[in-house]
Amino acid sequence: MKPRMRRIDKPMNALKLLPRRIFAFVARDFRLFVSYRMQFFLRIVSILAVVTTLFFISKIFAGFTDPQFSQWRDPLATWLTGLAVLNYFMTGFSSLANSIRQEQMQGTLESVLLTPINLPTVIVSSSAWDFLETTFFSFLYLFFGRVFFGVQYRGSFFLAVVFLLLTTVVLACLGILSASFAMVFKRGDPFGIFLGAGSALFSGVFFPTQLLKTHAGPALGSISLLLPATHGLQGIRQVLIEGHGLAEVTQPLFTLLGFLVVLLPFSLWVFGRAVRRAKREGSLIQY
Amino acid sequence: MSAISIRNLSKTYPVPFRRLRAFFRRPVKEPVEALRDVSFEVETGEIFGLIGRNGAGKTTLTKIVATLVQPTAGSVEVHGHDSVEDDEHVRRLIGLSTAEERSFYWRLTSEQNLMFFARLHGLSDRTAKQRIKDLFEKLELDEVARRRFGELSTGNKQRLAVARALLSSPQVLLLDEPTRSLDPLAAERMREMIRSLGQQDPPVTILFTSHNLAEVETLCARVAIISRGRIRAIDTPKNLRALTSESEMVHITVSSGKKIAFTRQHNDDLLDEKIRQLQKEGVKIIDIETERATLLDVLERYETADETD
Repeated sequence: MKPRMRRIDKPMNALKLLPRRIFAFVARDFRLFVSYRMQFFLRIVSILAVVTTLFFISKIFAGFTDPQFSQWRDPLATWLTGLAVLNYFMTGFSSLANSIRQEQMQGTLESVLLTPINLPTVIVSSSAWDFLETTFFSFLYLFFGRVFFGVQYRGSFFLAVVFLLLTTVVLACLGILSASFAMVFKRGDPFGIFLGAGSALFSGVFFPTQLLKTHAGPALGSISLLLPATHGLQGIRQVLIEGHGLAEVTQPLFTLLGFLVVLLPFSLWVFGRAVRRAKREGSLIQY
Repeated sequence: MSAISIRNLSKTYPVPFRRLRAFFRRPVKEPVEALRDVSFEVETGEIFGLIGRNGAGKTTLTKIVATLVQPTAGSVEVHGHDSVEDDEHVRRLIGLSTAEERSFYWRLTSEQNLMFFARLHGLSDRTAKQRIKDLFEKLELDEVARRRFGELSTGNKQRLAVARALLSSPQVLLLDEPTRSLDPLAAERMREMIRSLGQQDPPVTILFTSHNLAEVETLCARVAIISRGRIRAIDTPKNLRALTSESEMVHITVSSGKKIAFTRQHNDDLLDEKIRQLQKEGVKIIDIETERATLLDVLERYETADETD
């Protein structure tokens, strides 16, 4: 039988109700979050512990930085920007898949999909609280570095935020693909494994990506170029650590835009297909 | 226009990755046919019952109407809107209450849970708060409004599911065993409320599934019997009972303790005649009992027929 296509519902109406729906998800997730208060305080303590540890490790390298790695003159600043930003990127990537998986496990996905909301709204709203939470915790890395260990940042914060948002949206597209996988296969998401393990290793969070080429060969070294997080981090560090302006960061900026143009429509299309498939199989609440 | 119009609806659950499994020579299950060529209409304001054994196809049918499952063939229209092509609109018109406990956030209170769903329905906070207050009052949930869902009794969880289904004042209500976990008094009050929904202005159309056949008989104007994915009969409970047997056994107990038993047809005058005769003889009647076919008998008849098929 020829499959019937869904009619696109009045977009203006959906757009008008979007803020209320995002607020509904944020309020729900905030209440769930504060129902586990201890976790919140422990996480703050663990971030402070990580920043302190990195401060002492950075002291080992004081004065030894290779001049070709200009972003690594103050390793503590570079690590802290790397961790703060990686935190953000991982949220962009994993938030939707996690929330879909969680809703499936709780059995609440059907109840949410029973309300008159469209798929893009579900996608945006499900991740909203995670981004707020991550913004707070990512900010803590930079805040603790500045207040307790005198780390200096320069350059345009606005431009850094542009990079942060752009990279997060690109990673969110991969997150939508990951969520589609969770919707259909329930477990064993290859995007999660590749990007989760790969980003920390290949995108230059802890060491310059150039070292990969030198020590692991050009093939392995070029993997970092395929990761949006590499270009995002490069751009943010160029702005915050080296103080570069817009004209000097066009290369990572255009690379990220290229990723976005390809991945956004593709991931939305795949997610729509995944939901339809789950409805066909009647497996929306299975996990 | 009918409130719910179901035409030639079929649903076969596919086996995921069937070809891939076959390619790797793994055992391949057969696709499950849950519904076959189901057609019926439910009129506005009607309480329509759906009965059948476990696995007969009731839940699949309800979920297709609720847009949660896509049909393989055929169509469902709710007030003229197709459940696949115009699913978002259909979801604005319906409310679904299931006996599934896992459909709420266990660490949120009853009130917070309903507030979340009310916002997704697009209700303003002010309207939502008033609506939730009214529903808590109506369903006697005031005392548990601030208690976490996980701490509620099974009966209260079920009532909260009904409250959620009514949040957006739906025109069509899908109720899947709404009284299953309620005590007898609470169940009766729930039935009263369901009855009143059908009579309010504008009336709410209700598709009602239950294993409590006596309840279906009291509440529903018409009942469909579903067996192995097929609708076997649709009619009023009275006419369905008559399908099995048109006669009933009558037991009359008189003051002397003597019992008189006889068989009568549903529409004959035999009972009137017997009563008149006893009164003429000056005999006092203590009790009259009738044994008639129930919906269970009707259901059993179709199940037996299907098994022999």
